[in-house]
Amino acid sequence: MPAVKSFLERLFGRTPASAAQAAVDPPLERPWLQRWAHVPKRSAGFDFSMGDYHEARARGREVARTTLGEDRWAELQRRGYLDLQSRLYPGMTYRLRTGRRIEVRCADGVRPPWPERFLCINPTYPLPEEEFLAHLYLYVRDREEEVVRVAAPQPWDQTLGRTF
Amino acid sequence: MGRIIVANRRGHQVVEWEVEDAAAVKEAERILREAREQGCAVSKKVDGQHVIDTAPFDPRVEEYQIIAPIAGG
Repeated sequence: MPAVKSFLERLFGRTPASAAQAAVDPPLERPWLQRWAHVPKRSAGFDFSMGDYHEARARGREVARTTLGEDRWAELQRRGYLDLQSRLYPGMTYRLRTGRRIEVRCADGVRPPWPERFLCINPTYPLPEEEFLAHLYLYVRDREEEVVRVAAPQPWDQTLGRTF
Repeated sequence: MGRIIVANRRGHQVVEWEVEDAAAVKEAERILREAREQGCAVSKKVDGQHVIDTAPFDPRVEEYQIIAPIAGG
């Protein structure tokens, strides 16, 4: 029964007293050193509890707010998306939405560089979706060439697979 | 005190250093270099906002962030 108790505690994010300190301050994870292909979509891994997800999303939200700055964060909360003008393609705008594909929007008469309206771009390792939106914002604003290089154009909208 | 926000599945974790602490500075520099070598981007806080940065590690920077590489599909 101790194994069952331990499993349930892990699942619901309640750690035994002896492990409490480790749960508060887990060792630094350097995800760029790991392989993530085996992790199911919209998941952070089999060892993540519901409590871990809750905490990760809260921490991701905090970083997203810091990264975007108060004005952009407020805009995101108000509108539900952030628009960024393209530097490379005049008249084109990237619409960033939390946990979803980028929507490409063009002014009247502007021909988009892709045949499809949505761009599928994921992080290479699992991240909370608000945190990844802030990353995408930096990529689009400061490294648009990289966005253009990796983007997978898609005809339909969909949630991202590598965020949660 | 400087810090690196390491964005990962836990939301983020933080690496901190004092400029006078040579060992901590060296460790922070090593983590940043390792992440870049594995394809991560790095941003630093400039005038209150993050911008992607390609300059070598500077221990006087207030805040760096390690940003996940991106892939299509």
